[in-house]
Amino acid sequence: MSAPLVRLAVVPPRRLAVARILAVLATLATVGIVLALSGRDPLLLGRLILRSTVGSRFGLEDLALFMTPLLLTGASVWNGVRVNLWNIGAEGQFYAGATAASAIGLFVPLPGALMLPVMALAGVLAGAAWIALPAVARAWLSVSEIITTLLLNFVASLLVYYLATGPWADHVTNALASTERLRILIPAVWGAVHWGFVVALVVVVVLGVVLARSRFGYETAICGANPDAARYAGIAAAPLLCTVMLVSGGLAGLAGMIEVAGTVHRLQGGIANNYGYLGIVVALLARGSAVALIPAAALMALILDTGIVLQTAQISASAVLAITGGLMAAIAVADELAAYVRVKL
Amino acid sequence: MPETMFAPGEPPFLKLSGIGKVFPGVIANEDVSIDFRRGEIHALLGENGAGKSTLMNVVTGLYQPDSGEMILDGYGVEFAGPPAAIAAGIGMVHQHFKLVPRFTVAENLALGWNETPGWVAPGAIEAKARALSERFGLAIRADARIDSLSAGEQQRVEILRVLSRGAKMLILDEPTAVLSPVEVASLFDALRRFRDGGGAVVIITHKLDEVMAVADRCSVLRAGRLVGTHRITDVTPALLVGEMIGRPVDLPASYPRARPAPGPDAPAAMVLEAVSVRDEAGVTRLDAVSLVLRAGEVLGIAGVTGNGQPELAGVMTGLVAPFSGRVLLGGAPAPGADPGAFAAAGVGHVPEDRLRSALAPSLGVAENAVLREYRVKPVGGRLAYNAGAARRFAEALAVAANVRLASPTAPIRGLSGGNQQRLVLAREGRIATSVLVASYPARGLDIGAIAAMRERLAAARDGGVAVVLVSEDLDEILALSDRIAVLTAGRLMGVMERAEARRDVIGRLMSGRAADAEIAA
Repeated sequence: MSAPLVRLAVVPPRRLAVARILAVLATLATVGIVLALSGRDPLLLGRLILRSTVGSRFGLEDLALFMTPLLLTGASVWNGVRVNLWNIGAEGQFYAGATAASAIGLFVPLPGALMLPVMALAGVLAGAAWIALPAVARAWLSVSEIITTLLLNFVASLLVYYLATGPWADHVTNALASTERLRILIPAVWGAVHWGFVVALVVVVVLGVVLARSRFGYETAICGANPDAARYAGIAAAPLLCTVMLVSGGLAGLAGMIEVAGTVHRLQGGIANNYGYLGIVVALLARGSAVALIPAAALMALILDTGIVLQTAQISASAVLAITGGLMAAIAVADELAAYVRVKL
Repeated sequence: MPETMFAPGEPPFLKLSGIGKVFPGVIANEDVSIDFRRGEIHALLGENGAGKSTLMNVVTGLYQPDSGEMILDGYGVEFAGPPAAIAAGIGMVHQHFKLVPRFTVAENLALGWNETPGWVAPGAIEAKARALSERFGLAIRADARIDSLSAGEQQRVEILRVLSRGAKMLILDEPTAVLSPVEVASLFDALRRFRDGGGAVVIITHKLDEVMAVADRCSVLRAGRLVGTHRITDVTPALLVGEMIGRPVDLPASYPRARPAPGPDAPAAMVLEAVSVRDEAGVTRLDAVSLVLRAGEVLGIAGVTGNGQPELAGVMTGLVAPFSGRVLLGGAPAPGADPGAFAAAGVGHVPEDRLRSALAPSLGVAENAVLREYRVKPVGGRLAYNAGAARRFAEALAVAANVRLASPTAPIRGLSGGNQQRLVLAREGRIATSVLVASYPARGLDIGAIAAMRERLAAARDGGVAVVLVSEDLDEILALSDRIAVLTAGRLMGVMERAEARRDVIGRLMSGRAADAEIAA
């Protein structure tokens, strides 16, 4: 007479937390085993990774720089997933935001105090503009936003390559694939870490609070959970869904602005560095909570940093993708298993 | 009488001995012992959550019992899964048919059957289907597509499919829920034929008159335990109800009112003028329906499920815009499809499928409780949403609905169907100052909760609300209604005063015959 296994309709958060910690440990163990099998010393590499990430000031600064865009692209995707909208185009909106901010920074003569706010505003608006077409198509015509947002990523990416190598190319240093250095940059707050990191943290927290406390947040939550119930309650879903997507686009655009004005300082091809796609991972890790975006982005930043360390140890850069994929799979399994309890008789 | 058909010494087809099944925090079945005999129709009775479904899931191999044993034809058996139970001759007809709508009857019968030839020729399987139909005396059209069939015809296909797999025991879960009275009679004929041929039948049902009509014996479950097994000739419906709920509660056959029911000159809360509705495919679902809802009366809408009830409820609550005709709300023409405007005008709606259309299952009880009133203080304002106020609102609503909440923030899908229904009814009762449309409000409720639900509808009526009760349960309609309208194939077959309403007339109207047809018959 074995104890029956039963699926819970509502999983307690503690079970979930434990399951996820186990998933991370299982992923670590798998990576370690694979490294050992390929003739490396996992413990040695582990120590190296720890030292060059959380174990040193330089490593911590690096983590914060990685976290900054991930927080915002994560928030961009999370904001949509909450309402059952999948913004796969944070990458493209990131490029759009970075491009618009660079255009202001490079070509519009503004007084210093105004420069950064205007660049930020341009970034947000450009990100929102980049998602506007998919948003309208999704909200009123039910066109899948997954496809439209994804395809616009390639347009944005190629556009930036074109600008950075063509009309906006750097004629001062004749660098091949980037614009000139921006004249006004986001000031530093701690070593290489700039105020953009703080802004990203604040934006994430504010987003969570606003959605929990506003009528907009409530109505969009209903729309996401059950569109039929929203209609029944007299909620007009289309304008809300459109707004949600525009906000998502704006968040990713802001990420692009902060990256170009705070970290990279020039617009260059590939500046988005997959942050838009990794934002999906961050949003999925965070599940229902905006504040959880912070540890999720930190974990993702750690993995990115680990990839760099592994590269210096002559291990393929694709290892990052493999680790990320493995972690996502482990967490998906853990979330599901956490719902099952064995009942004692 | 049927019990004498077989010698007393013969073992029962299936003997359950001390079956127990436990879920977290719930004892679904405990020490249940029942004999299911050949040549017998055995009714399984019990309230929602009494453990009937769990027990049948054990019998059909879906669940493994945690204790006790099953003895098939004198030998102990264990079913590793549903295929094992089917191989042993135990077949189940579920409440929701498991047929492929786009396939023909013959194709559905051939589906997943190891006697189906590898090369499927339409002629061959149709011939086989017709042979089956003849053998078991269940009339079907072998070449008709499932989605063109009525619920009763689909059920016959489902039964035929189970029988064709060699079932010796047929289990039916609420088989009459979707049938018209005529179809019920033909189902019962088919079951009696199967019984008389030596088959064992188990029917799960709530409807006592059907138990009395068709069953030979019945077993009553309460809180997972067997209360008793009786020959049908030894019991009365009142006794069975007493066993089901553990106390002799009768649902009142009427809800007396302090003042007489409003007459034709009473103020109209809502008027439907020749309202027609078409679905996306252009099929007319509601055909020129004209109705006046009088303040302070209960209007019962009788009819078999799927005859335009969702469309009628939709038109009355603003979910569906009329294709033609118009709706007057408090004297003024109502906006087309604007549920928010209807709600603001005091129209409450308990929809048929509350989980799908009136609740957001993954959100908390609080979010769901305020769905109708989040726009007003204290929960909401122009821009704000006060989560704390929503929690307090939910707690107060739960008290009013007599639902015990573990936490107002826990997802509402964690509540039982009955509790969800109580919360929806309480929520809608709050906003329904003019009209309350309740579609199948008793679904998923046990008798105690049904009694409370009916009291609530009667109280709304006494408070001057025009109550519309859509139900397939004639007893419920007759108990509560002041007037009764019959809806068949989207048309209003007639509206009669309660005093003039006769069960047989309503039954005939429900099956699509004119009221005077019964005089000729």
